[in-house]
Amino acid sequence: MTSPELPFASHTRLDPATAPFEDFPAMLRRRGVIAPITPATVGAAAAGTTPPQTEATTILAFKFKGGILMAGDRRATAGNVVVYDRADKVLEIDRYSLMAIAGVPATAWEMARMLEHSFQFYRRSQLQELSMDGKVRALSKLLRDNFGMVMQGVGIVVPIFATFDPVENVPRLYFYDAMGAQFEAAEFAASGSGSPAVRSVLYYANAFGSRPLSRMNEEDALLLALRALDTAAENDTATGGVDRHGRVYPVVKIINQSGVVTLPERILMKAYRRDLQSLPKHTPKFAELE
Amino acid sequence: MIEEPYRWVEAIQNRREYIEHQLAAGSPIVGLSCADGALLLTVGRERQKIFEIYDRIALGGIGHPGDIERLRMSAIEVASAEGYSRSSQDVSLRRMVSYSMSPALKSAFEQIYGPPYLARLLFAELGRPGEPDLFVRLDYDGGFHTNGGPFARNMEPFAVVAGKTHAIEAMERFLRGQNFEASPLEDAKAVALDAWTVGHLALTHEFDDLPSPSEIAAHRREQLRNAAVEAALLDRHSRGPAVYRLLGAEPKPEEVPVEKSVSHREPLGLAEKG
Repeated sequence: MTSPELPFASHTRLDPATAPFEDFPAMLRRRGVIAPITPATVGAAAAGTTPPQTEATTILAFKFKGGILMAGDRRATAGNVVVYDRADKVLEIDRYSLMAIAGVPATAWEMARMLEHSFQFYRRSQLQELSMDGKVRALSKLLRDNFGMVMQGVGIVVPIFATFDPVENVPRLYFYDAMGAQFEAAEFAASGSGSPAVRSVLYYANAFGSRPLSRMNEEDALLLALRALDTAAENDTATGGVDRHGRVYPVVKIINQSGVVTLPERILMKAYRRDLQSLPKHTPKFAELE
Repeated sequence: MIEEPYRWVEAIQNRREYIEHQLAAGSPIVGLSCADGALLLTVGRERQKIFEIYDRIALGGIGHPGDIERLRMSAIEVASAEGYSRSSQDVSLRRMVSYSMSPALKSAFEQIYGPPYLARLLFAELGRPGEPDLFVRLDYDGGFHTNGGPFARNMEPFAVVAGKTHAIEAMERFLRGQNFEASPLEDAKAVALDAWTVGHLALTHEFDDLPSPSEIAAHRREQLRNAAVEAALLDRHSRGPAVYRLLGAEPKPEEVPVEKSVSHREPLGLAEKG
């Protein structure tokens, strides 16, 4: 399971008095499973010297009547090349937490994996669930640890995190910057190359729509998310949008007091089709149905 | 003291007697397989004795709480590091015990200038579908016993730990005469509690014939007056990768073991219309 030279038990464990502060990544570093963090090499990579990296865009999340809806398109690109058209950027960390990733998938998926294991490790070792604030902060620390890589021009990740607050009984939404600052979003958050368009769409819908986002029902929320991603894909080649003909739909998940639910593609397909059918006949989107 | 080999043997013998004496009062822990999963059960007064180790692995321990804690943390670390660096599918109780924990316990026990672990552990691992559950009893000297294996012996659907060998034997004898492998959880819990009672009686009474059902019932009633049943299940029907579930009080949302929610559940309010 681990090589015999690797430390075991008390001989190498931290002092029991400080051990509770050792988190999962620190434990992995102590055991040599992952490399120690190297200091940031600021400015090591001049602009343009790093090869194109695979990147994932565009993600969004907003609060609606039934919790938080989180969605992401499916495209991963490297430079102007489409690497993958079925990437899953909305990841379930535990029963009550979702993370959506924009940036370099190699780092982001590893972060999600680390986070998932961290929460479980904490629960098993400390015999209690990690608090909501602790979970939000754990992602912040991972981003901070990754910042050295970001400064070298590789591995930038800018995620969104949604979780359910069991104390206040409300869902909570956070977005981060690449250095690990966490910001709680009141209504919505978006990240990735298509996010300017998405933010505009969500702002517009919230401010000028027939009802604010927080009062939308599930079906309206889903359609808004699909329309926003479709809009983002119109101007941003790195965003996959909604590909009806290729039958590649965004990943959409909902989080509320009963946990995380993934909306199946079948539902997305039908809802989107109904949405297009409801449009006036002369609109270009209605014409797409033909 | 250790220049002469027989002194070392003597020291080891003293140490063994000392540890056995320390463990002798330990409340037994019963592990058994039933239709709903692998169950660990004990009766205790104050501190927790049954723990989650990894997705499919649980632990029960008797002995010094500090030592149980150190071993528990080591087991969690070893399993978690393996599960992270490879995959949770690669975490195996058999390897964890035989490759990591047993050698460490053995050297702690035999290095007579250092402290040994005052603990006797019972691990349970839920079998993959179609596979039997694995139970491992691990001792302070690194010795371990399984409920059978890929070798000659057939798998037995149970394993126990207790402070005294006599109690372990009595409980095993009792469980061999019971039928619970295909039983639902509640019936299996009742059998496990009876087995615990037999073990607890055996800590204070030497007997050749197992106590009668009425003796068991009387002793159980008496013991439960000042103590409570502690039990956990590795749930065979759990849909997520983490299958550990504390039995008893209905869990609050934040205490529910982390597991993947059911993907593809029909969302409310989006029932298909035409």
